[in-house]
Amino acid sequence: MQKYLLTRFWILLLTLFAVSLFAFALSKMAPGDPVEQFEDVPIQGSKAQRLRSYKRTAQKLGVDKPLFYFQFSSAAYPDTLYKVVNYYERETIKRLTARYGNWELIQDYWHEIHEMERKIEKLPDSLDRNALIKLRQNTTDLFVFHKPEKINKAFRNINTALENEALYSAIHQDSEKLANAYQRVVNEPSTYKHYLPKFAWHGFDNQYHIWFSNFFTGNFGYSYESNQKIETKIWSHLRWTLLLNVLALFIVFSISIPIGVYSAVHQDSWLDRWGSLGLFMLYSLPSFWIATLLIIFFTTPEYGMDWFPTHGLGDVSEGDSFWDIFWMRAYHLVLPVFCMSYASLAFVSRQMRGGMIDVFQQDYIRTARAKGLAEKFVIWKHTFRNALFPIITLVASIFPRLLAGSLVIEVIFSIPGMGKLTIDSIYARDWPVVYTILMFSALMTMIGILVADLLYAWADPRVSFAKKAK
Amino acid sequence: MLRRKKHIDSTESNAYWARVSREFKKNRLAVWSLRILYVLLFIAIFADFLANEKPIYCKVEGETFFPVVKSYGVQLGVDKWPKDLATADWYKLNYEAVLWAPIPYSAKTIDLKNNHYRSPFGPQRVESNKFWHWMGTDELGHDIAAGMISGTRTAMLVGIIAMSIATILGIFFGALAGFWGDDRFKVSRLRFWLNILAIPIGIFYGFKARPLAWYEGNFGSELFKSLGIVILTFLLFNGIAFLFERAKRGGKIITIPMDLLVMRFIEIMNSIPALLLLLSIVAIINDQSIIYVMIIIGFIRWTGIARFIRSELLRVRRLEYIEAAEALGLSKWKTLFRHAIPNALTPVLISISFGIAGAILLEAFFSFLGITNGDVTWGSILKTARRYPSAWWLAVLPGAAIFMTVTIFNLIGDGLSNAMNPKKVK
Repeated sequence: MQKYLLTRFWILLLTLFAVSLFAFALSKMAPGDPVEQFEDVPIQGSKAQRLRSYKRTAQKLGVDKPLFYFQFSSAAYPDTLYKVVNYYERETIKRLTARYGNWELIQDYWHEIHEMERKIEKLPDSLDRNALIKLRQNTTDLFVFHKPEKINKAFRNINTALENEALYSAIHQDSEKLANAYQRVVNEPSTYKHYLPKFAWHGFDNQYHIWFSNFFTGNFGYSYESNQKIETKIWSHLRWTLLLNVLALFIVFSISIPIGVYSAVHQDSWLDRWGSLGLFMLYSLPSFWIATLLIIFFTTPEYGMDWFPTHGLGDVSEGDSFWDIFWMRAYHLVLPVFCMSYASLAFVSRQMRGGMIDVFQQDYIRTARAKGLAEKFVIWKHTFRNALFPIITLVASIFPRLLAGSLVIEVIFSIPGMGKLTIDSIYARDWPVVYTILMFSALMTMIGILVADLLYAWADPRVSFAKKAK
Repeated sequence: MLRRKKHIDSTESNAYWARVSREFKKNRLAVWSLRILYVLLFIAIFADFLANEKPIYCKVEGETFFPVVKSYGVQLGVDKWPKDLATADWYKLNYEAVLWAPIPYSAKTIDLKNNHYRSPFGPQRVESNKFWHWMGTDELGHDIAAGMISGTRTAMLVGIIAMSIATILGIFFGALAGFWGDDRFKVSRLRFWLNILAIPIGIFYGFKARPLAWYEGNFGSELFKSLGIVILTFLLFNGIAFLFERAKRGGKIITIPMDLLVMRFIEIMNSIPALLLLLSIVAIINDQSIIYVMIIIGFIRWTGIARFIRSELLRVRRLEYIEAAEALGLSKWKTLFRHAIPNALTPVLISISFGIAGAILLEAFFSFLGITNGDVTWGSILKTARRYPSAWWLAVLPGAAIFMTVTIFNLIGDGLSNAMNPKKVK
């Protein structure tokens, strides 16, 4: 048993590690600059101030660090690219390197653009305004241009702006240097470097390590959308999801067990046959369809059956008594909880019926009947108790499914739970929240499966890991 | 000798099939489900001929056209519309003779005269019954019947594509685990290490060494090329290993516990919450086309099939004819593909059938949430229902279609599993 536990635990860790790698990779592949998404108001002030503030935010979000413990890339790329803090600059450099492969020359070129920009900042405003704006615009454009046509066009525009005498004398040296730097990048490519692999070690101070270890200390980072801490956001949503799930679980088990027992005892009766078919149909009914139908028919005055509220959890004000709040919530939760429970209800009933029938066929039941025990006694004392246990272990395995199911229901009925939070975050492109929830639910699923397996192994000592693999 | 053995195999499997199909036919629900499935497949295949804004056949100004067939040619780039027809409103042409599709609307045709939710039973502004909207319209005037037909096609495609991928992966991993087990996969040490080495090298030359192509090329074709390079790398390294083994320089033979590795992998796959994973992958793909959902479903849902194949192969592999094939000197791979897998495939049909039901449900759910866009699907019609409760047909019809399709696949799966294990029927 101990060995079994240990193996399970290792698998859990391994899975969690795999999921975390996957979630992290996805979150880094998501489009957009995290810093910009986080500071949704553009920062005012001078260029230097903006740069400082950008760096501060990048530090707060931890995106100024290397991505992973090591880097396995082509020799064309530098292993210190993460030090270019600005997302767009970094992307442009990556693409330029992809095209030309000569990182050192690109670095010189980049340096010249910065130099040129600094010079333009210092130019007095007394110069020709239009030409100055054009010059400034085209120089900053170079930070995001990576296609040769676009870069050449920017250079042409810079040259036309420099036709102005005063500007020309002030800046032509720098612009020539810049143009030369670019020409060297283009004329001396080293694309062969893409075919040479390179390995670089970054150490533990990297984004993945920090993200993963923070996950276990309950520090999930910041939401882009509301700048809130993710954990506050998740906790406030989690309680509704938990409430929904616990209610649904309770209803599922309190209804389906009697149904299962009844249909097993009255096997092949008229009621059992039709009931089985009915439960089978119920199991196949997509819950988002049923939810939509319920909303349309029972929450609008259209068909004269406006019995339930359409969405939300109702308005509760501070002074309301406990019972007022209770009834308000209960009234709003009837339809969602129904939609969440009916499919599992069908599933658990079928399992219960199957389990009971299995036990009925055992030898000890025949013995019990043969020695003349009352049928009631056989059913409840002998069969039911033995058939119930596998059903209890189902709790753990249907829990993940309920969580996924509550995603649909929460969205349809606008209940502010985790599922709604997920979908809203996806629409708002709030990636940190999305991937934290992914990790979170993977963890929940794994714990559910683990608990189910352990309960099962505890109930039936014949189950051991070695045997299970066979 | 070998030939005779094969002959016996085939009659044996024929008898097995005959028994399965006989048992299956006893199950009336399953048989009816299969019939409905044929109808659905028919609708999916001939969707363009069943609902189309262009006529199937028409004669305009003395010239005969088959516009539906012709539009296939135009899409493929081998045919062109004549000038006056390219932008023509097909409903307003002066036809000398015309044959409309049974539903003379495409899923995306907007009928402005009948917009804002026309009920199937309510008043509609149509010229004749031929143009009646039998399943009503939505807010913009899309014909729902045409949408349902387009949805049938999507649903069938989702089922087929997702489950094809899942089946291939499932058979691959299931065969690895079941046929070789924990103690039969033996390789030379050299081959083992060369294959380990091939992983980073394949990934490097396939993906990392071609950054420009990945930035600027077409995603699909680049992915194809990259995977090709990875496969080539593996072939190359195994070729080298083969040469060394021929020269008896492969090193010690080691055993790899394939079954254990694959089962662990399956456990890991199963504990990933599929729905959230799908959501978060689809969310970052800019092109929200359904095809990605299908492919990802395939990559997530193969574990059930792999388990089936594995347990079936564990059984089959001990049968006499496999031993005979091996005794005759057939290589392991040949035995696996010629003899073991074909005999292990039938039970997989059960898993595929349930899998298709799940895939269709997932896809419907995704278009219901509006995460995938593009074609009109059952899920996307159901989504519009919530905006206007009076339009009951928008909620009832597509949902019923999803329900029916999912149920028939479940019933077929149920029927198959009962037919293959007659003992299990209670």
